Amino acid sequence: MSRLFVKRLSILRPLLIATLVLSGLASSSQANDLALASNTVQSKMVKIYGAGGLKGLEAYQSGFLISGDGHILTVWSYVLDTDYITIVLDDGRKFEGKIVGADPRLEMAVLKIDSQELDHFSLSKSVVLQPGARILTISNLFGVATGNEPCSVLHGIVAATTTLNARRGAFKSPYQGPVYVLDAISNNPGAAGGALTDSHGNLAGLLGKELRNAQNGTWLNYALPIAQLTTAVEDIIAGRTRPRSFDETVKRPENPHTLKSLGIRMVPDVLTKTPPFVDSITRKSVAEQKGFQPDDLILYLNNRRIDSLNTLINEIALIDKIDHITVVIQRDNNLINITLPGQ
Amino acid sequence: MIIFHNQQLPLFKQLLLIAITSTFVITLTKSLTAQDDLLAQEERALQQAVSQVAASVVQLEVLGGLETGNDGPVSGLVVSNDGYILSSAVNFRPSFTSILASTPSGKRATATLVSHDYNRNLVLLKVNTTEQYTTASPVPHTEIIVGQWSIALGKTYSREVVNQSLGIISATNRIWGKAIQTDAKISPANYGGPLIDIQGRVYGILTPLSPRGQNPTDGTDWYDSGIGFAVPLIDILPHLDTLKAGKDLHSGLLGVSLKSGDIYDLPAEIVAVQPKSPARTGGLQKGDTIIKVNDVLISRQAQLRHALGSQYAGNTIAISVKRDDQVVTTKVTLVEKLEPYEHPLLGVLPDRNFEKPGTKIRHIYMDSPAQQVKLQPGDIITHINNEAVADHNALRLVLSNFEPLDELTLTYLRNNEPTTVSLELGNIPQQAPTISPHATPTTAAAADTLATGLIDLKLPEEKNECVAIIPTNYRHDVPHALIVWLQAPGEPDNENLQAQWAALGEQYQAIVLAPQSADPARWNPSEVDFIRKTIDNVLSIYTIDRNRIVVHGQQAGGSMSYLVGFSHRDLIRGVAPLDASLPIRAAIKANDPGERLAFYAFNLKESKLAKASAAGLKRLTAAKYPVTAVQLSDKAGLSDSDRIQFLQWVDSLDRI
Repeated sequence: MSRLFVKRLSILRPLLIATLVLSGLASSSQANDLALASNTVQSKMVKIYGAGGLKGLEAYQSGFLISGDGHILTVWSYVLDTDYITIVLDDGRKFEGKIVGADPRLEMAVLKIDSQELDHFSLSKSVVLQPGARILTISNLFGVATGNEPCSVLHGIVAATTTLNARRGAFKSPYQGPVYVLDAISNNPGAAGGALTDSHGNLAGLLGKELRNAQNGTWLNYALPIAQLTTAVEDIIAGRTRPRSFDETVKRPENPHTLKSLGIRMVPDVLTKTPPFVDSITRKSVAEQKGFQPDDLILYLNNRRIDSLNTLINEIALIDKIDHITVVIQRDNNLINITLPGQ
Repeated sequence: MIIFHNQQLPLFKQLLLIAITSTFVITLTKSLTAQDDLLAQEERALQQAVSQVAASVVQLEVLGGLETGNDGPVSGLVVSNDGYILSSAVNFRPSFTSILASTPSGKRATATLVSHDYNRNLVLLKVNTTEQYTTASPVPHTEIIVGQWSIALGKTYSREVVNQSLGIISATNRIWGKAIQTDAKISPANYGGPLIDIQGRVYGILTPLSPRGQNPTDGTDWYDSGIGFAVPLIDILPHLDTLKAGKDLHSGLLGVSLKSGDIYDLPAEIVAVQPKSPARTGGLQKGDTIIKVNDVLISRQAQLRHALGSQYAGNTIAISVKRDDQVVTTKVTLVEKLEPYEHPLLGVLPDRNFEKPGTKIRHIYMDSPAQQVKLQPGDIITHINNEAVADHNALRLVLSNFEPLDELTLTYLRNNEPTTVSLELGNIPQQAPTISPHATPTTAAAADTLATGLIDLKLPEEKNECVAIIPTNYRHDVPHALIVWLQAPGEPDNENLQAQWAALGEQYQAIVLAPQSADPARWNPSEVDFIRKTIDNVLSIYTIDRNRIVVHGQQAGGSMSYLVGFSHRDLIRGVAPLDASLPIRAAIKANDPGERLAFYAFNLKESKLAKASAAGLKRLTAAKYPVTAVQLSDKAGLSDSDRIQFLQWVDSLDRI
């Protein structure tokens, strides 16, 4: 423990003891805190019912109120792809939900019900979490709660913060920005649109849709930080337009670098994942000038990891001829950095 | 505490004061819980522990390799300052080209795989760097207690910041004494990383493990389930010098067979001691009951597995047995490999239509022990070593207690006259016998409403397609062979399949089942389970002879046939690869006296797989499996005569 913390604790200790004696809660402080948080968030949660119900697609998801006038934040999904969206509040009241707007790039939507003076989360008071922070997720997991039954609460910690595009190809999702990775098994059917809070019930994130890591087949439990959504939500509520769709294709340069123009010949592509070994170097080429040698193994291209010949060819096609390329190669047991200039 | 000095205060004022003070106390309570409640203190302590160990967790990147799979970064734990790293073997796919490790300065350096711990699914790496790493201290055995906080760490998402999952120690002595268990979420995000305690010490290295197998990936299907395993660091440290010297650690084997049955009920009574095994050298005998290993008392077989499970080859252990009311204690040194078991051959095929007690002979093998003692087709074998044997399945089981060259007496009936002969058992020949198809029962066939011909057997819960070819003369009272055909990647051609197999299947009483890969371009190793389901489905509908279930596959389908055969020993009796090699990752399991498995390989001389496939067959032969190899002349595939020879081999799999 840090010195500072110990010192502060010693000052507070007498007060702490006094409080505990007075309140008679010496042993159940932890349970009470989580219980308090779990209960205060329930009145802000909603259950959303819409399209689906076929082929394992559930016709429900979760959401939460973000204004007293009935604005609801949730994820954009097929569930909302219908004229009849039913919103059920924590007290069991049923409303028809209207889509105010959506941002497919953030996979987020704002709905509205016709009501007033509703308990709600305030986006401006959302908190930022650090790895290891205790969290609660509140959602209608598996649709287990109906009517006025409370949503399901899971507890855990923030396992890591990462961005979904940090590993190309691992997470195939329109949203590629920062996420909280959670160690609670939070992202199961029905949970999308649920709330992530800290241990005091302060809003921190929006639970995302189910997402599988394409590289190792494991499911990711994650939430979008509220800070990523605030501007978009404000724009939607204020009636400012948001993009309706997002062009997923990365802009490819018209004149990219090629292995040939660089003067590098690779070993033949014979395996599913042929290791990218250099076979030979064209004489007087850029590659030769910069010191490439046969049998070099290419590991990184512009900080992108190259795990096979196929990846190498794909990545090179994304780099404009006028830009330089940084390459990390392995030669025996040494890592060597080489920069190939643009032309 | 508040003390009232003025006793003369009017009652309502007193009440007011109490109300005010209580409000004060409540406000105080609230502000205190907000800042410094136990939860927050605990969180700080946990984070303190995490930051203490974080520098000892390294990010590893494994590049290249023959299989696709987990391509993302993985984790490892520093075990010495000069850059030795322990990690889980699951992180290293076969034939990878490079390993990169993060260094204390935040750079990357290459790393070399130094050695394996095959018993505990770990590897030791050495980073090629002069930088100094920080090590973490291990938690001693006495302080690994169920219920304590445990935090699982990895460096998958970032090279600088660890990812974490919080849980408790949920069990110790798991997986036959090798591991501790945690309910923190263990997955590819932290395999190879440490499980730490709240004081920032290391309980162990996170790795998938399974009570059912020792392949590197066994146990990965339990990821994030609330059941995760860590191998105690304190158990590994004494072996670190061995691992650093590049010596692999293997499970230690003793070489005894125990009475089969419920391992949680039966005592550890030895029914067979393998030749040349440590048990044989140590003087253990058939009939002994093991009662103690080192200082651990053994009263059930499961306890013996616990006592031996964590032992390495080379370890010397003390074993006490009960022998005729005496206790005998001996010391044995466990070994990595035992002499493989080989099935003996009597040299007969049973008549499957025969129902009375005993085994009626359908066919006698040329030059076999059966022929030497002049057994004939139609003779009925009734006794082995003067003990009655009910039918051909029981006879096969009795003989699995013997090996080639063992001697026994056999009693048979000919024209109702019993004769007893002595013989020496032989070896299973490499050549398949030439036999005519088995006779159908002479009784009339019962009316049957089951579908025949080319039928669709797709399982509703699976996306894979699956068809079968059922002989049009199918009868429920005739046990059929089952040939599971796994085609080479490409679009299926069911009509061609039917043209090739329908007529022959009718002749040789065989059903052909063709499960298809979900992706027409490739077979995925995980589809082994789907294939098993399709077989179970056929077993539930049709009459299948459990002695003759064969997986036959071409190229990638052939590699799958090996995997299916080795994964489902209880079901598969034959594997018939066509132009395919044994997958590099497939560990050849020891030949099992009880669960028979034979191989029939079609090789193409011109194929680029020829060399690899021949090498695989050599390994199987060395492991004493019966291997039949045929050379195909035609590149186009099997001719009808190739198929007939193959069907005769399938027909002979119930040999005795």
